[in-house]
Amino acid sequence: MKRMLFVLASILIAGSILLAACTTTTPTPAPVVPTTAGSNPAPTTAPAMPVTIQIWHQWSGAYLDAITAAFNQYMVDHPNVTIDLSKPDDVTSSLAVAIPAGQGPDIIGWANDQIGTNALKGNIAALDDYGIDMNFLQSTYEPAAVAGVVWQNKIWALPESQEAITLVYNKALVSAADFPTDPKDFAGLLDKAKAFAAANPGKFLFCNQGIAGGDAYHVAPIYFGFGVPQYVDDTGKVYFNSPEAVAAGNWIVAIKPFLSPDETGDTCKAAFLGGTVAAMWTGPWNVADFDKAGIQYGFAAMGKPFVGIKTLMITANAVSRGNAAVAVDIIKYYTSAAAQKAITLANKTIPANTAVLKDPEVQALKSLAGFGANANLGIPMSNSPFANAQWGPVGDATAAIWGGSQTPDVALAAAQTAIETAVAGMK
Amino acid sequence: MAQWRGWRKALTVLAFIAPTLIGVLIFNIYPIVFNTYISFTNRNMFHPNPDCSVGMTGILEPTCWAVFHKNALKGLAQPYTLKTPLFGNYIDLLGKFFSGPVLLAVLAILVCFVPLIIAGQINKRFEKRVERPVPAWTVTLGAIILGVLIGFAVNFGAAVNLIAGSGDFFVVNFHSILYVILCIPLFFVVGLALALLLNVKDLPGRTFFRVILIVPWAASTVAIMMSLVWKFFFQDSGLFNMLLRLFSLPTKTWLNYPIYAFAIIVIANVWYSYPFFMVTILGALQSIPGELYEAAEVDGASWWQRLFSITLPLLRPAVIPAIVLSSITTFQMFGTVWAITGGNPSNGAGAPGATDLVMTYAYKQVFQTQAFARTGAFAVIMFIMLFGATLYSLRISRITKGAYD
Repeated sequence: MKRMLFVLASILIAGSILLAACTTTTPTPAPVVPTTAGSNPAPTTAPAMPVTIQIWHQWSGAYLDAITAAFNQYMVDHPNVTIDLSKPDDVTSSLAVAIPAGQGPDIIGWANDQIGTNALKGNIAALDDYGIDMNFLQSTYEPAAVAGVVWQNKIWALPESQEAITLVYNKALVSAADFPTDPKDFAGLLDKAKAFAAANPGKFLFCNQGIAGGDAYHVAPIYFGFGVPQYVDDTGKVYFNSPEAVAAGNWIVAIKPFLSPDETGDTCKAAFLGGTVAAMWTGPWNVADFDKAGIQYGFAAMGKPFVGIKTLMITANAVSRGNAAVAVDIIKYYTSAAAQKAITLANKTIPANTAVLKDPEVQALKSLAGFGANANLGIPMSNSPFANAQWGPVGDATAAIWGGSQTPDVALAAAQTAIETAVAGMK
Repeated sequence: MAQWRGWRKALTVLAFIAPTLIGVLIFNIYPIVFNTYISFTNRNMFHPNPDCSVGMTGILEPTCWAVFHKNALKGLAQPYTLKTPLFGNYIDLLGKFFSGPVLLAVLAILVCFVPLIIAGQINKRFEKRVERPVPAWTVTLGAIILGVLIGFAVNFGAAVNLIAGSGDFFVVNFHSILYVILCIPLFFVVGLALALLLNVKDLPGRTFFRVILIVPWAASTVAIMMSLVWKFFFQDSGLFNMLLRLFSLPTKTWLNYPIYAFAIIVIANVWYSYPFFMVTILGALQSIPGELYEAAEVDGASWWQRLFSITLPLLRPAVIPAIVLSSITTFQMFGTVWAITGGNPSNGAGAPGATDLVMTYAYKQVFQTQAFARTGAFAVIMFIMLFGATLYSLRISRITKGAYD
């Protein structure tokens, strides 16, 4: 009897907890935020009460200095606003936990390929409701950048910069003559790499962190340079099991003996800074560190890189906390001509803001021509959720080719299947 | 008094155990139930959010609860629903396993272990006799040789490949079991050797060495950092290759080769874990009465005879729980492997890497692929397997015997 009573009481307690949890109440409506309408909205007024805006970003190294200075200027101009910059190791995982718990950022600095997936989840809020319209976008930013932040007829972010990787070489070790003049001449690049390795034992002509490191973004210039049109397009069609991709895979096998065995991001940069490799495939984010190290560098367009848009998005948190108007004001300020010119001149990026791009001082930057030359050949990075299906399989296939565990045709066929399976899961 | 024996006593007892009961419900039972429910849905990167109007989803999904509902995400995606067929994720994981050829392969592998099981039974019987007709090691060795011969006859390698080909589940489990099989004996041998050394009374600097040899255990509190040191150690430009170059020996990028990469994660784990065995064995060694050794010496027993006839049998009660606990933690290994190899080198798209263990694979599935439902099914199967293994290990070690008595 006692045992029965005990069991009954336990069940009652457990049941009451569950029932309490299941009680449905009307969801609290999101706070009404002030919006501005029109094609060229004026900045919002400073908030009356102190507010802290958290920004999660992916900026690092010396690149971050100019960006921090821009946000510091905003805080000087808006004393009630505190901007807290932080850089989680894994934004996707951190967001998955933070946003549903009401924690985490008001603004995310991220590439445009993340827009579709995060819009599906509800991590980010469309900017159309906060005074951003197509007229404003088209009158302020470059057309490619505008296309990169619009998905399903909604505006999900403001563009900061356009980015594409290219071969950046150390002028103290090599010259433009050490690279093919035709960006599609990978056979020529192989010959040059052989010649350089023979003439400079222990040194390598270039480093690409995508080849060994399973990084589909950095290895893209090679696949696209061989004629692969895209990994996966906006309709979910996959292009990876093709003769062009297999040719790129065979080229990776052929060039392996003439590249550093350690081809990861950190080791590539360290080897480049240390003079062990003469060139590395990288983007504008490393230029500030190269300047800091005193390296005289040049640019060699090679292959067809992804052209991505660095953007700032506002999160569901910003809306639920009533910070959306301030957050939008911050990203408008950050992507404005005034803030972006200083950042561009310091970080040698390709700005998305049209006025900055046309500025004579910016036009005089050699990096603009250097990265721009390869960006002009590049493939725009899709912001569809299908884009998320490509990174893992392409990276794994490339690492398997590099490591020798699979031949290019087998590895690429497996990658094609893996991407198609992921796309089928979305559809 | 009569009342105290009745409902008042029950309520009092309940009041005392309620906090624990609630804790167990919230932190143990609820996650298992919720995960099991998710494993029957299609929840993934593209169907990430719940439909709170669905009965069980509304009850189990935290963001459907009133207290958390204001933070519920409202994205453009279709909410997740029950999978069709309901066991779809389980079929994806295990489906090919229940086919004729794969089950035959399992049978072939099991047959290889039959001689060892029989040898164990024979040895048990011989132990009851006053005089053994054959030494135990001869029986065991004979069984191993017979097992290997059967392995060749049934093509053990092909059978393993066939099972591995039936799904990622078996590949990562095979990796994890192999990892346990390689690590645990090494933990024991290294721990035993150092414990025997440190147990020598006249060893100069004994206290110093006891402290120094425990350092890896202390370092395991910063395991990720120390694992990165191991990674740098074996990189192409790492210390190990520098040493090899010093002696003009050939070098490799060790972490790019599946077998070497696996060996490195074993070595790193042995480095972290041998102090636990060393300390356990050292304590047990000091509890062995010295008279036993003195008597053995008088009888003319050699050092090895004393080791195998006195030391090892008397270490057994202390070592078996250590082996069981270490087997569980090694099977669940994540941080060290993730930091050193990240599951690589790659075996290609859609396949686990050469050093992907159960936990690294599950982590990738959840946090990189965001295949929540499929990983939920993976976790349920693992839970059932590990629950059975834990019960069996408790039986072996009789850890809880005292509690039940």
